[in-house]
Amino acid sequence: MVDKGPVISLCRSLLRAGHQYPDYNIREYAKRRTLEGFRMNKNLTDHSKVEEAYAEGKKQLEVVERVVKVYLAYPPRTKNIMELKLQ
Amino acid sequence: MASKAIFSTLRRSLTKPHGGAVSRRHHLSTTSAATASEPYPGDEHAIVMKGVRISGRPLYLDMQSTTPLDPRVFDAMNASSIYDYGNPHSRTHLYGWEAENAVEVARIQVAKLIGASPKEIVFLSGATEANNTVVKGVMHFYKDKKRHVITTQTEHKCVLDSCRHLQQEGFEVTYLPVRTDGLVDLEMLREAIRPDTGLVSVMAVNNEIGVVQPMEEIGRICKEHKIPFHTDAAQAIGKIPVDVEKWNVSFMSMSGHKIYGPKGVGAMYVRRRPRVRLEPLMNGGGQERGLRSGTLATQQVVGFGVACELAMKEMEYDEKWIKRLQERLLNGVREKLDGVVVNGSLESRYAGNLNLSFAYVEGESLLMGLKEVAVSSGSACTSASLEPSYVLRALGVDEDMAHTSIRFGIGRFTTEEEIDKAVELTVKQVEKLREMSPLYEMVKEGIDIKNIQWSQH
Repeated sequence: MVDKGPVISLCRSLLRAGHQYPDYNIREYAKRRTLEGFRMNKNLTDHSKVEEAYAEGKKQLEVVERVVKVYLAYPPRTKNIMELKLQ
Repeated sequence: MASKAIFSTLRRSLTKPHGGAVSRRHHLSTTSAATASEPYPGDEHAIVMKGVRISGRPLYLDMQSTTPLDPRVFDAMNASSIYDYGNPHSRTHLYGWEAENAVEVARIQVAKLIGASPKEIVFLSGATEANNTVVKGVMHFYKDKKRHVITTQTEHKCVLDSCRHLQQEGFEVTYLPVRTDGLVDLEMLREAIRPDTGLVSVMAVNNEIGVVQPMEEIGRICKEHKIPFHTDAAQAIGKIPVDVEKWNVSFMSMSGHKIYGPKGVGAMYVRRRPRVRLEPLMNGGGQERGLRSGTLATQQVVGFGVACELAMKEMEYDEKWIKRLQERLLNGVREKLDGVVVNGSLESRYAGNLNLSFAYVEGESLLMGLKEVAVSSGSACTSASLEPSYVLRALGVDEDMAHTSIRFGIGRFTTEEEIDKAVELTVKQVEKLREMSPLYEMVKEGIDIKNIQWSQH
């Protein structure tokens, strides 16, 4: 059974990793999808399902961390209009 | 030692910290200086391309033409590119076996999305190739007995062009008209069927107007008359629930780059029970059940498979999100503007495709003003002939409305702020153009434009 602590820490790691995407759309999607993913599974009571969801989250964290490194290795070309207006 | 210092400073200047874009100052050339307006504050990131100046990268609302690559798909493709370089058709060594495994895994992922068996999936270079293969291949195989093809007027260009090619070879093609809401009339389909009809081809979701055809009913009609049913589902898979059994399709074309996968890959579903035969377009070593010879691009196929799996998992969430954004866009535009027409049925529609026509506005000037939003127009304004799109013409839309149509494509990665910004820019541009339009003035005064007697000079 996974406790609340590791789950919250996983959510925080995913959000922090997703925040590093240089592309505006993917960055926003990562944040939105992570929060939705955790929100959807918030009321799970079945132990095996909770373990499954946690393992899935850990796998996604690996993917995000790996992919972000590659995305950052190629510097983005131009700033998105949405990023300019937010400034 | 000194070279190391030089290289490290070079590296530091070339790679920027995260979130920071490489800002470029573009000096206006003499040709664009004549057309450029004075720079407004905060314009250091301006891009000047093709004589147009935009303040930054436009927001992407053209998901029907192509979609960005999902990072999870990118991740899977990377791993595959590095390690699965063997030829999947090499039977004799580990490299071939590993590549073949990767392709078979992708095949299962694609098959699951559409409710088919993996043995019925053939990978090729895209939906265009699949459409060509099916339309020409089926008719060529049955050319002695079957000489007639039924399709609709709103099909994708590749299907229409393949049918025209068949017409030149001597086959007969019926192009079914559509109703004003874009849907096929089932009675007309029934009437058009002849004893020598060899294929019925109707696309599931239209790429220009986004209407969803009544696939189950058409499938039932085709099953009654025992005619193979082909559908171009490039815009449909991963977006609406697709089931080859429920729809009773014999052939289906799928494309990778419409579901956040890579470009250059697609798949064709060819039913095995009851068996339908077709002549291959690509002859060679007999790969892919003899239907498409040639070495498969393993990492493209792997990317396509992962994209299909993701689409299946995310379909519910994406659908909710996209529906929400579509309503926000439509309501936002309708609140501020009148004379906004949605092309195609609003009920039987895929939410991510919104094709709007703005009355009393000239299409090309509207597009020129919307340079900060990447959208597509419904007419071939940008081509040499100012012909409006054939799809809108088939719907019976007037020429002037067809010219001002804009197709907004909403996808998985679109944000609410982008929609708000698109609404703001569109409304501003349309209002600006309408203010300058004498036609709009007359309409506001109550004059009916259609009944004006224009005097000849």
